[in-house]
Amino acid sequence: MREHAYSVAGPLGVFALWEIIVQAFGVPAYVLPAPSAIALKVIADAALLADGLVLTLMEAVVGYALGSAVALVLAIAFVLAPRLERVGLPALVALNSVPVVAFAPVALLWFGSGPMSKIALVTLAVGFAVFVNAHQGLRSVDEAAANLLRSFGAGPLRQMALLRLPAALPSIMNGLRVAVVRSMIIAIVAEMLAAFKGLGATIFESTQQIDFLRAWAAIAVASLASMVWYGIVNWIDRRFVFWR
Amino acid sequence: MRTGLGAQVAALAGLLLLWEAGVRGFGVSSSVMPTATAVFLDMWANPVLIWNCIVRTLTETVLGFAIGAAIGFAFGSAFAVSRALERLLFPLFVLSQAIPVIAFGALVVMWLGNGIWSKVAIATYLTAFPVTVNTCRGMQAVDAQRLALLRSFGAGEWTLFWRLRVPFALPSIAAALKLGISLGLIGAIVGEWFGDTVGLGIMLLQAMYNENLPRLWALILVCGAIGIAIYALFEAIERRWIFWKQEI
Repeated sequence: MREHAYSVAGPLGVFALWEIIVQAFGVPAYVLPAPSAIALKVIADAALLADGLVLTLMEAVVGYALGSAVALVLAIAFVLAPRLERVGLPALVALNSVPVVAFAPVALLWFGSGPMSKIALVTLAVGFAVFVNAHQGLRSVDEAAANLLRSFGAGPLRQMALLRLPAALPSIMNGLRVAVVRSMIIAIVAEMLAAFKGLGATIFESTQQIDFLRAWAAIAVASLASMVWYGIVNWIDRRFVFWR
Repeated sequence: MRTGLGAQVAALAGLLLLWEAGVRGFGVSSSVMPTATAVFLDMWANPVLIWNCIVRTLTETVLGFAIGAAIGFAFGSAFAVSRALERLLFPLFVLSQAIPVIAFGALVVMWLGNGIWSKVAIATYLTAFPVTVNTCRGMQAVDAQRLALLRSFGAGEWTLFWRLRVPFALPSIAAALKLGISLGLIGAIVGEWFGDTVGLGIMLLQAMYNENLPRLWALILVCGAIGIAIYALFEAIERRWIFWKQEI
């Protein structure tokens, strides 16, 4: 309980300090609005922000699911087929060295300004994060345990199901956790470049119109959403991956 | 993901060949995907332009990385030494990571101006978190018996910090630094999107608006090359100076 009190006190203190400084020094809203003003704006613009949030979340979640699925399949395939790995891994490493955001313009040109381009980018970003963790987890299995299973006649597939996947789950969950925030960021960044709707588009438009309060409100909503999502993944991790 | 350098070069050559053959073989329109040769010709034709962008973006990345790493190290060490500080401030650091910082790009540009410092600030923000976490976790993992042993020899907190905690945490810090510099590169590239005239990020945008695909891919390749170079450099430093990884 005291642990919780501490972790709430820190952020609360900062918000209080922020509010006091803005009020006391009369900081103009275009430089830094007070938290209370942002909260009021979120309520006032609730309909608009909810509209954007639904689209952005959809893009992020679909890309997240696609990216994780592709990454898991690839990582498993690489471990089962070392020959594929020898060809595929260096290619993936080379691709991964390009910052994902550098692909944003290409994605927009290829898939247009709609949700497709954002989903593609999120898939790419999430895919790398999950792949790196899954691959590492699947490979760093206790060799003695693998040998034991093999001596009982377990083929590569059974070894994968009985030993490697369960052993790799904590590492995979780590990748999934990192990927949450990344998927929201990438979706928003891509929307800021070109989009019809979404939180990123709202942020971009409001800064163009010098309506910084609305930009802050959109940022607050986006942050809150990724925190909730992060919390859910965390909860699943603690609830179901108890053997870490 | 560690593979041999030879395998990587071979894979890269293979990818380029596949690219060239695929585009030519399937007759892909140059407005969808340019050939690899067209991309390299574009690079060859504009060496000064591309070089200037590399220098600018790398400067932003390195400055942001250095400041972010210093902040991360300072906070990470403070958290490791003081439990109260950790419990009070660490949640803030975690919270800060849930915020899509790049959404602040336009605001940061307004605060710090259109020059290099707004990009440095974004790169700093992205670098600081992983370094903080790994510094703290690395230092907290120090064996209590070793601490007690050194204390029994009369070592003060300062000696303990530099002689035991820092060396112990270095492998974990090094891993965070590698992640931090690639995040810093992303921060610098995206930071330029919010207004600038030189740099890889803004060139990417211009190439997109002009639908200049050879240039776009040339810039993507350059970004990748920078990513590989930075990573290789950090690996080399790690192998040369942080050789005790296996022993602890």
